[in-house]
Amino acid sequence: MRRDLRLACQEQLLPGDSLEAKWETAQALGFGSIELRGHGDGVFAARLGELQRARASGVPMTSVCVDMRHFVGDFDADRRRDAVEQMRQQLTTIAAVGGRLAMTPASYGMFSKRLPPFESPRSEADDTAVLVDGFGILAAHAEREGVLIVLEPLNRYEDHMVNTLAQATALCETVASPALRICADTYHMNIEEADLAASLLAAARYLAHVQVSDSNRLEPGAGHFDWALVLAVLEAIGYEHELAYECRLSGPPEQVLGRSTSFLRRMA
Amino acid sequence: MDITALRAAAIRTLAANWRGSSTVPSPSLYPHQWSWDSAFIAIGLSHWAQRRAECELLSLFGGQWDDGRMPHIVFDPSVQESGYFPGPAFWRSDRVPAAAPLATSGIIQPPIHARAALDLLRNAREPRRARDFLARTYPRLVRQHAYLATHRVVPELGLAAIVHPWESGLDNSPSWDAPLSNVPVDRTLLQRYKRRDLQHAGTAERPTDDDYARYVRLGKAYRDDGYDDHRYAGHAEFFVVDPLFNALWAWSEEALAGIADVVGADPGPHLRQAAAITRAMTEVLYDDQLATFTAYDVLAGARVMRRTVAGLAPLVLAGLPPRFVDALAEQLTSAHFGLLDDGIAGVPSYDLRASDFDARRYWRGPTWLNTTWLVWRGLRTHGLGDLAAPLAEAILDLAWGAGFREYFDPRTGRGHGSTTFSWSAALVLDVVDGLGGPA
Repeated sequence: MRRDLRLACQEQLLPGDSLEAKWETAQALGFGSIELRGHGDGVFAARLGELQRARASGVPMTSVCVDMRHFVGDFDADRRRDAVEQMRQQLTTIAAVGGRLAMTPASYGMFSKRLPPFESPRSEADDTAVLVDGFGILAAHAEREGVLIVLEPLNRYEDHMVNTLAQATALCETVASPALRICADTYHMNIEEADLAASLLAAARYLAHVQVSDSNRLEPGAGHFDWALVLAVLEAIGYEHELAYECRLSGPPEQVLGRSTSFLRRMA
Repeated sequence: MDITALRAAAIRTLAANWRGSSTVPSPSLYPHQWSWDSAFIAIGLSHWAQRRAECELLSLFGGQWDDGRMPHIVFDPSVQESGYFPGPAFWRSDRVPAAAPLATSGIIQPPIHARAALDLLRNAREPRRARDFLARTYPRLVRQHAYLATHRVVPELGLAAIVHPWESGLDNSPSWDAPLSNVPVDRTLLQRYKRRDLQHAGTAERPTDDDYARYVRLGKAYRDDGYDDHRYAGHAEFFVVDPLFNALWAWSEEALAGIADVVGADPGPHLRQAAAITRAMTEVLYDDQLATFTAYDVLAGARVMRRTVAGLAPLVLAGLPPRFVDALAEQLTSAHFGLLDDGIAGVPSYDLRASDFDARRYWRGPTWLNTTWLVWRGLRTHGLGDLAAPLAEAILDLAWGAGFREYFDPRTGRGHGSTTFSWSAALVLDVVDGLGGPA
């Protein structure tokens, strides 16, 4: 039983010097929408005019994925505050152009328990307190804007706080807002989850977004990830939203992305 | 009925019963890997999780013995001995030099595995990978079948015998009543060897204590002979030829011919073996009076005069001559099995008209989805769409109405036994994905 997948592509992967041009290419390559990248320093909010023009031209922009150097879970209070403010702006902006969500990890590239110095300067309890606080603020804002703030677990080398869907679920349950949800990224899942199907089943209630890249972070089909299994389970848990491509490419986008979207559709 | 929702529920059930390298038939009652269950499960998995389907069969064949036998249980070492009776301490495969290097039972189950492997290729989204899988698995399947031919065939009959009711898959079938009546009941065995199944299902739905005392006696006797078939045959108290077992053997030989084509081996021997088994069944097991296939009690030298769903299994054989196909179709639609009777759901495991038909006790009447599915596959093979289509509907209706239960009351559709039963979910998927497709 094959059903049609809703595939989104991150904007930087698409050739073209405008969102309108990228959208034309995206459709030819098998995508139904674009996922934006949310830079900090007010840059994303400043794109509002560009994004609104794109929307008026018919470009579907479903989500924005954060692209900054500091995050909601930062060790430093000032950087945390700024990250929360940036994410607030991203939520407002994506809502203004008809998107569903803004997403972020707890942190990225700040600390890993598997890399030197191995010992975190902050306790786990304080990690949790920081995240509950930051995501609580963002969830309230998202609720007002009618969109979702989505937390993405990262693998253990990229973050030390939220690595699994189960950990993200626990945070969602603590914050207890209908606007705080989870993104499952297949690349991180491949490293962290013991059982891909069981993890998705357990997180089904909070799952609002999926990002896809293969076992080696390249486009789907370029690695050894079990796509058929995950696509079948996503359908079986009633996941109806996009699968957003966030990946490296094994070759020129015009060549490899079309091959990849066809591949995913065959696996569904 | 919402077929999309039913399919989703079946996938969720199989996902929940996955244990890392194989699937349990049910989480509580059957916490290990069972042989023919895994074959049905692999068929279900092949529709959405090909890699898990491959792993299911490969891990099962990891339990294969040197003589080629595929044991009916491969035990999960992380499950306590008390989790299932009879467990590793009963079967003691670790004391058998020719056994696999992991704990298994010593008896076998109907050999449907080659058919499951071929289905896997037919349903594969990654066909090249599936062909590689078949190349790896073909030698193991050949050895599984060779074991049957060299260790289990009764020469004068040309058919394989089972040495324990559990080897039939239809544990307490009425077909075993007469043969078992010659097996003494030693109730003291149940004091030494405690049943566990009643912790999970009611006594009215399971075999009796007398049944279990006989099962234990037979298993123990075979074990005490080191599972040596040639030695055991001389004094076995239960030695029966089962039509379902042999039908699945022949069906799998037909499948092996298909696999041989794929992997570059000679399909000829498999086709000849399938034809030989089929012919032998028509000569030995078909009863003109009952107009169906029956079991044959080797020790008594006579057929067992009972109509069960096992006798309908030869329908799966493409090589079954038309007069037998017609006879079985007629049997199915008769009052004995009630196909096309709105008041009967699925194919009952036993003759509805028998005085000892029991709608709730395991294999003595209830409808099971695996045997119903076998009949469905057989009807499609022979182009009997008018009978196959309602049976497909019945399978889906039963699961939709009662859930993926272990078995069902054929008159009410009420579910019994385990809940979230894996092969029920698996075979629903095969029916759903096979609707409208070729046989």
